[in-house]
Amino acid sequence: MPQPASESPSHSDVAARAERRWAIVMLGIIALLVAMVVFTGLHWAMMPPSRVETVDPATLQLSGEFTEANLGSAVEPDGSVTVRIVGQQYSFTPQCIVVPAGTPVTFRVTSADVIHGLMIMGTNINSMIEPGFISTFKTTFDKPGDHQMPCHEFCGTGHQAMWANVKVVEPSAFTQLADHARRLTCDL
Amino acid sequence: MTHLRKPWWRDRIVGGSLATLAMLLLLSGVVGFVWLPSAQNDARFKGILDAICGAAGIPRGWLADAVPPLPTPRHVSTVVLTPDTLSHDAPGSIGRGGTLALKCTMCHGLRGVSTSETPSLAGQQSASIYKQLRDYQTGARSSAVMEPLVKDLSDQDLKDLAMFYGSLPREPARDLGNAPDIVAFGSPTRNIAACGSCHGGMTSKLGAPWLDAQPRAYLRTQLLAFSHGTRRNDTSAQMRNVAANMTPQEIEQAVEYYGSGR
Ligand code: HEC
Ligand code: HEC
Ligand SMILES: [Cu+2]
Repeated sequence: MPQPASESPSHSDVAARAERRWAIVMLGIIALLVAMVVFTGLHWAMMPPSRVETVDPATLQLSGEFTEANLGSAVEPDGSVTVRIVGQQYSFTPQCIVVPAGTPVTFRVTSADVIHGLMIMGTNINSMIEPGFISTFKTTFDKPGDHQMPCHEFCGTGHQAMWANVKVVEPSAFTQLADHARRLTCDL
Repeated sequence: MTHLRKPWWRDRIVGGSLATLAMLLLLSGVVGFVWLPSAQNDARFKGILDAICGAAGIPRGWLADAVPPLPTPRHVSTVVLTPDTLSHDAPGSIGRGGTLALKCTMCHGLRGVSTSETPSLAGQQSASIYKQLRDYQTGARSSAVMEPLVKDLSDQDLKDLAMFYGSLPREPARDLGNAPDIVAFGSPTRNIAACGSCHGGMTSKLGAPWLDAQPRAYLRTQLLAFSHGTRRNDTSAQMRNVAANMTPQEIEQAVEYYGSGR
């Protein structure tokens, strides 16, 4: 039954209503995505890329904090521990990392050659290790135990052999070790 | 139809959408650049400017007030090896190296092929020869024989010698098909990559020398020295990390495979 033209909605009104609905749906989707980012950011420690810091990968061994003598775990004045690691084809130095349980630990890791990766099994620690950049991340291990730390970024023909150990020990045992050396590892 | 003649930004829908989009952008910016970074447990993200710079990836120092680095002991190599350490060399380098090498033939052989327990140098990676010579010079690698011989040579002399020996024909490489497991596969569960992934055969790593046809006694001494930590000039322990995990049997197998009859 045909309606008089003046009473039916004009084409542009129909289009406007459809567009408004679409806009609301899109806005809803974006709001949901932002909410997810906020939730995972606050509760799952998934943060936007951050803590960018550069270093010359060819001269790590000469000076600065990644010289051989300075690698391993260092006790800071505030009682926290800083662990410095160099990743290279096809090992991490030190090969065995020792840290105390229940103590804030800051990892500082860089690569001497190509892109490597690092994850500490049984924890949510997982980072890229890029030549030219220092990866910094903080954590606290809640209990003593041994963790494997493989390289998870293909770095060449020997990649599958590249991993290290992380030994989390009682704070008292760590303090005893720290009395004997200024940089600690559990290397052989 | 008058509203169609209005400029587009005054259209209710277009204008409204734009305004909403701008709000969203602002909101997401605040979430990503201020709220989430500030929520991190890190003093260096506190304050709006720090939070924004951190999230935007401005390079800066992320470790405040750490204890200062320990001094570097003498046995650490100070050589910086990059793929072009030896590539911009002056013309005539090989010729000058050949002249300087007259001092070396007595032990390393007339054409760099040694017939004693001294290592051969013919066809060796130039970068590796240069690094070892510099390490003898600084004392990072110790040898009562080699240290006095390179003491008075200039950096260019060392480069010339390295270019000269690198240019000589190399002894034929071993066939990886007959290699023992430690050489061909390493031992991935013990953090040992295949020797061939650094020393040639599969791939070569800058600074890792050829091992083929070196004297057995020399190879054995070097592997034991790395595993006991008495040779420490390998940068960031790249070779010590391998040798420290090898069993005495594996050391023998590798020496047997790479070594020449001498
Ligand atoms: C008196 C004998 C002697 C003379 C002369 C000599 N060398 Fe050596 N060279 C040795 C011995 C022995 C070693 C192994 C030392 C060690 O165990 O570290 C060696 C090691 C080396 C190495 C290390 C090889 C490697 O694969 O790591 C290089 C490079 C080298 N010599 C170069 C030279 C050059 C260049 C000259 C001449 C300026 C020279 N040598 C003269 C005996 C000699
Ligand atoms: C991650 C790479 C890598 C792997 C894997 C590796 N090496 Fe090495 N190796 C090196 C580097 C680099 C050097 C030179 C160190 C230096 O700068 O003095 C070296 C040096 C050596 C030397 C001393 C050579 C000389 O002339 O001075 C011997 C012997 C040796 N490696 C044996 C082995 C054996 C056997 C294996 C296998 C079990 C092996 N390497 C696996 C990197 C590697
Ligand atoms: Cu790797």
